[in-house]
Amino acid sequence: MEFRSAESVDEALAWLTELGDEAQVLAGGTDVMLQHMRREITPSVFLHIGRLDTLREITANDGMSIGPLISHRTLATDPRIARSMPALTEAAETVGSWQTQEVGTVGGNLCNASPAADTVPPLLVAGAVVELSSTGHRRNMPLDEFLVGRRSTARRSTELLTGISADAVSPGTGETYLKVGRRSAMEVAIVGLAVRLTVDPDDTVTSARVAVCSVAPHPYRATAVELILEGSHMEPDVIAEAGRALTASASPIDDARASADYRGRVMPHLLERAIGACLHRARAGRKGL
Amino acid sequence: MTPSVGRSVPRPDADPKVRGTAVYGVDFEIAGTMFASLVRSPVAAGRVVGLDTTAAAAMPGVRAVITPDQAPAHRSGLGLSDQPLFASPYISYEGEPLAGVVANTLENARQAARAVLVDIEEVPAIADVGAALADGARFIHTDWASFTPVPGLPDWRRYGNVCGELISDPGGVDEAFELADLVIEDRFEAGRQYQAYLEPKSASAVYESGRYTIHVSHQYPFNVRDRTARALGVRPSDIRVVGHHIGGGFGARLDVSLEPYAGLFARLIGAPVKLVNDRVEDMLSCNSRESAVIKVRSGVTRDGRIVAREYLCDMDSGAYATDTVFLISIPMFVAGSVYQVGPTRVVARAVYTNTAPSGAFRGVSGTYLYFALERHTDNLARAIGMDRRDFRMRNLMTDGQSMLNGQVLSDAGILETAFDAVEEMAPWASLGVGPNRGVGIAATVWLTNPAPGQVTLKLNEDGTLGVITAATENGSGAVAMGVRQIAADELGVDPSDVILTMPDTDGQGFDAGSQGSRTTHIVGRAVREAGADLRRQIVEAGAQLLEESTEDIEITDGMVRVKGRPHRRLSLADLAKGAMFRRGPLAATGSYATPIPKYDPESATGMLFPTFPTPTYHVHVAEVEVDPHTGQVTVLRYLVAQEVGRAINPQGILGQIQGGVAQGIGHALYETLEVGADGRYRQRSLEAYRMPIAPDVPRVEAALLEHPDEAGPYGAKGTAEPPIVPVAAAIANAIADATGGSINRVPITPEDVLEALDGAQDQIRGEEE
Repeated sequence: MEFRSAESVDEALAWLTELGDEAQVLAGGTDVMLQHMRREITPSVFLHIGRLDTLREITANDGMSIGPLISHRTLATDPRIARSMPALTEAAETVGSWQTQEVGTVGGNLCNASPAADTVPPLLVAGAVVELSSTGHRRNMPLDEFLVGRRSTARRSTELLTGISADAVSPGTGETYLKVGRRSAMEVAIVGLAVRLTVDPDDTVTSARVAVCSVAPHPYRATAVELILEGSHMEPDVIAEAGRALTASASPIDDARASADYRGRVMPHLLERAIGACLHRARAGRKGL
Repeated sequence: MTPSVGRSVPRPDADPKVRGTAVYGVDFEIAGTMFASLVRSPVAAGRVVGLDTTAAAAMPGVRAVITPDQAPAHRSGLGLSDQPLFASPYISYEGEPLAGVVANTLENARQAARAVLVDIEEVPAIADVGAALADGARFIHTDWASFTPVPGLPDWRRYGNVCGELISDPGGVDEAFELADLVIEDRFEAGRQYQAYLEPKSASAVYESGRYTIHVSHQYPFNVRDRTARALGVRPSDIRVVGHHIGGGFGARLDVSLEPYAGLFARLIGAPVKLVNDRVEDMLSCNSRESAVIKVRSGVTRDGRIVAREYLCDMDSGAYATDTVFLISIPMFVAGSVYQVGPTRVVARAVYTNTAPSGAFRGVSGTYLYFALERHTDNLARAIGMDRRDFRMRNLMTDGQSMLNGQVLSDAGILETAFDAVEEMAPWASLGVGPNRGVGIAATVWLTNPAPGQVTLKLNEDGTLGVITAATENGSGAVAMGVRQIAADELGVDPSDVILTMPDTDGQGFDAGSQGSRTTHIVGRAVREAGADLRRQIVEAGAQLLEESTEDIEITDGMVRVKGRPHRRLSLADLAKGAMFRRGPLAATGSYATPIPKYDPESATGMLFPTFPTPTYHVHVAEVEVDPHTGQVTVLRYLVAQEVGRAINPQGILGQIQGGVAQGIGHALYETLEVGADGRYRQRSLEAYRMPIAPDVPRVEAALLEHPDEAGPYGAKGTAEPPIVPVAAAIANAIADATGGSINRVPITPEDVLEALDGAQDQIRGEEE
């Protein structure tokens, strides 16, 4: 087994062109090293990209641009993220421990494509788009198309994730990430839910985005739920209907953490709480609080 | 010099442990060592029909592949000799050793172990006690009848998959049930709990001049010596066990694990050998707290008396008997020690299954036995419409009453004091108030392990005090604080001038290990015995050196003085130096074992653990809040009143209480090794095995109650084990109170909480209809 550490994006892309599937891209390694230890992956080359500082930048203009090497700890503590994508801040805070947050990267979280990836639901509700680069080529793809299955993405073996862009919250928009785990920190989500709501001054929902993790092979946008909420005033029967739709949209499994039934039961309550929190934040945002 | 006993003296081992400079067993290597890895069974039950070592033997760095034919074929064990070193040919649990590989590096040994090809005819596993006890169940060991107890232990009733059975049936039980106004019956289950110490198990061994030296971090080095000797078929004195810093034990390091293999391999290859578990094999093979099924039935009267009881328990021993054959006695102490009960029948069985042998874990069996008892006690109170605390107070044991084994509890009245103490901390009526909140209370009686220990004290020529003992510092502070402080006060020296040895079975007298909170009580008492002798020698030496008679010599403030003439004195250093070449070194040895309390041997059959010596008394109160939508539980407050005899180091005890409650919350709410239908654990890593972490555990509020014990050093009784014992009971009672439903299983999952809430709703609806 070989270890190569790229000094430029071009060098990394050249190696990916050369190696394809033989290479395992390595950033923080919090997932990759475990998979290696468990012999779930057996690459011939670990392609380390941790020194590509150009992939470790955050820019906040009209939209947000988040370098894929940004660590969870940075997501959890950077004021620009907290202002523009508070649900992502909340999600990143819940990933593993401070130690793993410090080394694990957002790009790694996306490419690992765990069903329980905490940063994915907030990025989905922020309309995230990923940038995939290969030698001489670059393409953009919505995050929900990038995730194709359990631990499976649309990334080609010659491609590197080089950028993540997303919409910042605007006044009148509130968002949150809520997570149910067995314990109160260092936990893998049993259910993770991100909601971003835009409401007009009379509390009509003008835009709703809802995304969940740990209840299907990969995190996804629950568009049926969004349609129910949009145009409503979040009346109790609407929220109840949205909750049922959320559960119906999921395909959870029984695992060592929780049963499928439990996940289905918890989702509507989580949605109701999230909607309440979003509304509160949207109103506060409009008042300039 | 201020006496150090009773003060929170800092522990000297904290610094190296926190900085990472302490050398633990897993860090230790004998020069020139080879490394070994065990080939472990991937299935829970089956027969080995082929073992192909060709590929493994050809792997890089491999020195030898050890097959069962190179190992002793006999069985040995802790109480019952039923366990072979290698499964050959019958496999009884997943993770059971099948062969071993020795190589030049640990990684090479592990790689090669994976390359050993094992052909197994798998058979369906017997995954739990229900399946093991079912009519017509396959016997886990077809040759169970040929097994024999270890030397010195008389045989007991065993049959098929039942490797031990305690029956206590004093007569009159069924008649007493007739007198009850109400009979309440409950069934409870408890899951397996992994000790989850930070340091994985390891062992290093070298074979020289016909003797084995084994280096290990272990709670009970003399048991390593004896168990390894039995496993290898050699004399105990052929084995020397050297102890190193222990990275957590909680009972998991009381029996042997890798040590016999290290010794065997070292002899076979003629070089030192070290084995280290990786975390997965550590979990798979660990002697975790056994799972159990408990049924309790009690008859009560309307005015709140318990007139009859039946307490049945089946413990999952796993593939071999290990310590459950002893633990089946404990239901007797639980069923009738806290509350007065009428005639009581107890039947407890240790049952073989195709799972890893279970074993000792802090508060052995008491955690779930009291969980069952105290949940049942709540149900009794509810059934007759009495307040749960009032019902308990009405039935509390008092001074001089007897447990079911006939042993008299002369000081059981301390229980009432403990109830009063928690009441003072926070009134019962003020807790658990408000929606989704609940309060639970649980009381326990627990023992201090009586097993023997020995200490040699030597006065060094610089006036420091050497304490030579095989007692082990498992992290609790019993040696680093308790024994050290008691020794310091014997001569009035500063605790920092007390030098403690690490365990070495060649160099020290017997010690029964850090188990059952015995170290401070037993070893501390042995220190006092040795101290009395050493002081006598010092006085004699002082008299000789100062040319006075012994009656005129006293030891005060680390000095030897002539009474009434304080300027006529010698420092302990000068005395030790002076005495050395005139009368010889100053040293004394003391020993102690708790005399076995009087009990009635006729009170039960199969009772291998017949008494509860040096009992202590405990009341815990938990206040919780449940989330009605997610079923998550928050422990809001946790109160402990713990009777300690005498607190040698209050801070040390408070640390044990905080840790015991945390571990108990793990048992109550988070931790379990679930066994699948195939007999394999479902939780196979510390990622899947959920332990509580700091935010899940409240700061425990504790009161230490002191009722000095005549036999204990300065009155100290055992303190480190009990704080885990009532926790599952208190938490479960609080959740049952918060939900209004039934909680009959630990750990209590969020799903169980939701089910309890649903059950309570259904009950309300039923009552309305």
